[in-house]
Amino acid sequence: MKMKLLGAGVLAAALFAGMGTALAADLVLSIGSRGYGPTVEKNLAGFKQANPDINVDWNKVSDVPNDARKLYVTGLTAKSPTPDVFAIDVIWAGEFAQRGWLQPIEGLVGADVIKAYNPSFLEAATLDGKIYAAPLYVDGIHLFYRTDLLEKYKLEVPKTWQELTAASKTIMAGEGPQFYGFVSMWGKIEGLFMNWLAFTNSNGGGFYDKDGKVAVNSPANIEATQAMVDMLYKDKIAPESVLNMRPDDARTLFQQGRAAFLMVQDFVYAPLAGDDSAVKGKFDFTRNPYFEGHPDAHSTTMGGWFLAINPNSKNKEAAAKLVEYFTAYDQQLTAAVEENRAPSLPAVYADPKMAQAAVLTKLGKDFDVGVVRPSATTGSLYPKVSEIMQTEVTSALHRQKTVEQALNDAQQQIEALK
Amino acid sequence: MANALDRRRQAVGLGFVTPTVLVILAILVYPVLQSFVLSVGNSEIDGSGGYRFVGLQHYAELMQTSRFWNSLKVTLIFTAFSIPLELMLGIGLAVLMNEHFHGKGLARLAVLFPWALPTALNTLMWRWMYNTDYGLFNAVALQTGLAEQPINWLGDQTLAMASMVTVSVWKTSSFMALIILAGLQSIPRELYEAGRMDGMTRWQEFRQITLPLLTGPILVALIIRSMDALRAFELPFNLTDGGPVSATESLSLYAYKVIFDFIDFNLGSAIVVIQFLVIFAMSLIYIFTLRKKD
Amino acid sequence: MQSRPRFGLYLLVGLSVVISFFPIVWLILTSVKTTGGIYAWPPQYIPNPFTLENYRKILFDSPELLLYVWNSFVVALGTTALCLGFGGLAGYALSRLRIRHAGVIMVAILAVSMFPPVSLLPSLFQNFLNFGLLNTYTGLILAHTGLFLPFTVWMLASYFATLPAEIEEAAKMDGMGTLRIFLSIVIPLSWPGFVATGLIVFIFSWNEFPLALVLMTQDAMRTAPVGISLYPGEYAFPWETISTATVIAIVPILVITAIFQKQIIGGLTAGSGK
Repeated sequence: MKMKLLGAGVLAAALFAGMGTALAADLVLSIGSRGYGPTVEKNLAGFKQANPDINVDWNKVSDVPNDARKLYVTGLTAKSPTPDVFAIDVIWAGEFAQRGWLQPIEGLVGADVIKAYNPSFLEAATLDGKIYAAPLYVDGIHLFYRTDLLEKYKLEVPKTWQELTAASKTIMAGEGPQFYGFVSMWGKIEGLFMNWLAFTNSNGGGFYDKDGKVAVNSPANIEATQAMVDMLYKDKIAPESVLNMRPDDARTLFQQGRAAFLMVQDFVYAPLAGDDSAVKGKFDFTRNPYFEGHPDAHSTTMGGWFLAINPNSKNKEAAAKLVEYFTAYDQQLTAAVEENRAPSLPAVYADPKMAQAAVLTKLGKDFDVGVVRPSATTGSLYPKVSEIMQTEVTSALHRQKTVEQALNDAQQQIEALK
Repeated sequence: MANALDRRRQAVGLGFVTPTVLVILAILVYPVLQSFVLSVGNSEIDGSGGYRFVGLQHYAELMQTSRFWNSLKVTLIFTAFSIPLELMLGIGLAVLMNEHFHGKGLARLAVLFPWALPTALNTLMWRWMYNTDYGLFNAVALQTGLAEQPINWLGDQTLAMASMVTVSVWKTSSFMALIILAGLQSIPRELYEAGRMDGMTRWQEFRQITLPLLTGPILVALIIRSMDALRAFELPFNLTDGGPVSATESLSLYAYKVIFDFIDFNLGSAIVVIQFLVIFAMSLIYIFTLRKKD
Repeated sequence: MQSRPRFGLYLLVGLSVVISFFPIVWLILTSVKTTGGIYAWPPQYIPNPFTLENYRKILFDSPELLLYVWNSFVVALGTTALCLGFGGLAGYALSRLRIRHAGVIMVAILAVSMFPPVSLLPSLFQNFLNFGLLNTYTGLILAHTGLFLPFTVWMLASYFATLPAEIEEAAKMDGMGTLRIFLSIVIPLSWPGFVATGLIVFIFSWNEFPLALVLMTQDAMRTAPVGISLYPGEYAFPWETISTATVIAIVPILVITAIFQKQIIGGLTAGSGK
């Protein structure tokens, strides 16, 4: 009860913070219908109650980021005034801001509201000192594993890739055909680049070298990428079908009890723990493995979604209110407890209610070894960078090129981008 | 008098044609011209402000882009494999449908369905059957012992192309068949009766009577289908998204990605102009072949 | 003349029917399985348990999927009406009124229909935005009309060309104007041509993908092929929903094709014979 009151108070504070004169307005909000779970609907109902004179139309965009992106790009290119508020993947923030497609939120969203966001998240949406979007939630990729199988074969939770390979082989030998060691999202999608960053960073490599220069073809990266190839063809712990998997394809296999290890984003936790899951109560997760000798390596590739305001919007003040409402304490707490969405307000983590979201707290720990993608640093070039990396890593995974050649080609193409 | 009448008819005729011409100008011609203009210049992506003529710079860039050559190759391979297969199956189906048998209505419907359904949704159906871990094909292959390991239909570069061709052949052979069937039905019965008098076998009948008279309809079907195949978009979009690597990335898909992923309208326009030229050249070749035969 | 073997014929016919239908059958079977049944290994050839839950979910929990079908319906119907109206007039003028350069115009119409639809997208998108036509039925109907008018004009022109000239001449002698001749004599005489062309244009419009993908950016305005193709989520590809939605979206086309198969086949073959 007390909690509720406190929540309401914070909610009211958040509301009043941004409230000038009440203005009648029609807004269009673009966000996926399932990406943020049922929270969107709940938030819109709450917002309507608090702002009866603001009418929000929810344009459910595709939950496939690339499809949603195309939609935004076409609209923003043509200076469409709608959507007023739209959800963007963290990796688009730099590019969109550089193209002038995002309205700086300072002055619209209350200064105290902005100050409350996790500053490291804000950084991803900051260009030349201006903040262009408000963080809604963050996620990362983790290693999910079968507790029952590790126990059955008397194995430890693998800390390194070498241990994971050995454990996979043992389990696969015992479980027979049609059972896989390791599955992940290695289709030619953004998730593959996230995977590659997790692998290379966990070997002390990464997209940039220590001086901030693009170093895609560094020896550490070649070694890590080769390890990915070997998982497919030498150790055969990953099925070749992993090369067309999206995250959920991998999740489904794991949930059917057909794989020992799964490396994808946090969203899978809820379905895996669901009542109709074959692995309910038989799995857990940990940070992604590292290569021997690199225990301090960062390997949790991070992602997340932001809310941005269209610079051509006719109702920027109302739009800002909507952004504030969605990212306010209470709404984030609900999304965290009910949908496992990691909040962008550090204060929420301290809420006693977060005890119900113990998983989230544990997921949050993996963010300590977080890796961000080079989206803010490469700005409008990021789509091309990611595409090049996806293509070249894929051609290495398909053994169309040697790892070294693929990464050399990637390095060369990225250096040639202007 | 005759002149006045003619002038009136011209005026009325023009009036009749005007709405069509206006719509076609607005929806097809203007955007197409804009593509040509965009392909030889640099412009702001929002269309506002400066347009700078750069000549053939974007075309030169494409000539050095392996991904462009790959998409051209993919498009041509896809066309080169699917069209002959469709043609052969189409002729076979047409000959079959020209026979008299019970249940012809159902058979005709069966042939028509794949063509009538949206390519995008057909493709989803097939994608589901191709699924490596839950798909129908692998289930049958593994359970009958035809395969020991799941076959990676859409994850192997050669198989993915073969899979895409299969979907296309499945969908459009019927279209070929229908056009050829019409040609078949216009062949006078007497010719066959005369043939039978001469003791021709079925195959001889087909080679010597049917096929020569079908040249026209076959060429028409080829032109229409080749144009479609060279523009293939939603098939790779929904089946593989151009993958694995870029093994099924058609010109249309590549252009779409350049335009909307990389937001480069100028380079993207150059791709579609080249695509247009390829299609144009292809139809010219067909038409000249047709002329020669006549 | 029944001496030739019939068994082989029926075998081939049966095989064609099976090959044509099995993907659709498999799709329908998938749509009546539970999620567990869909992802079961070994796979279920017969749904066990059989369930209509996926349909219930779409009807009551995901009304947007039904909306896609409705949108397709409105757009296809509007496109058909406009195409027949404009294309009928133009086809008549080009085939019967001996207007100047009719041949050139016909070839020009054929030529522009060759351009790949993807190339229309950037320009159409901007023009449509400026005229407020994005996310409107009018906009997509107009775009589809432009796309399928060349086909309509060619189809109808070739149909009109088969009409006997005497009837029109007699009407002209009676002092009827051209428009009246067209409306009261030519159209009634050529309705089979109109029906066939209309059905095919309807199917074309229902199935069209690239323009519907880009010109309808709001979820609520999407047509069925696009809406269903984009339904998979960031992480998920929920086959139970997608198969069910696909079944719902192809039923109208299956029904139309089944009822009007003769007209459609007649139209397709007539149009390409010229």
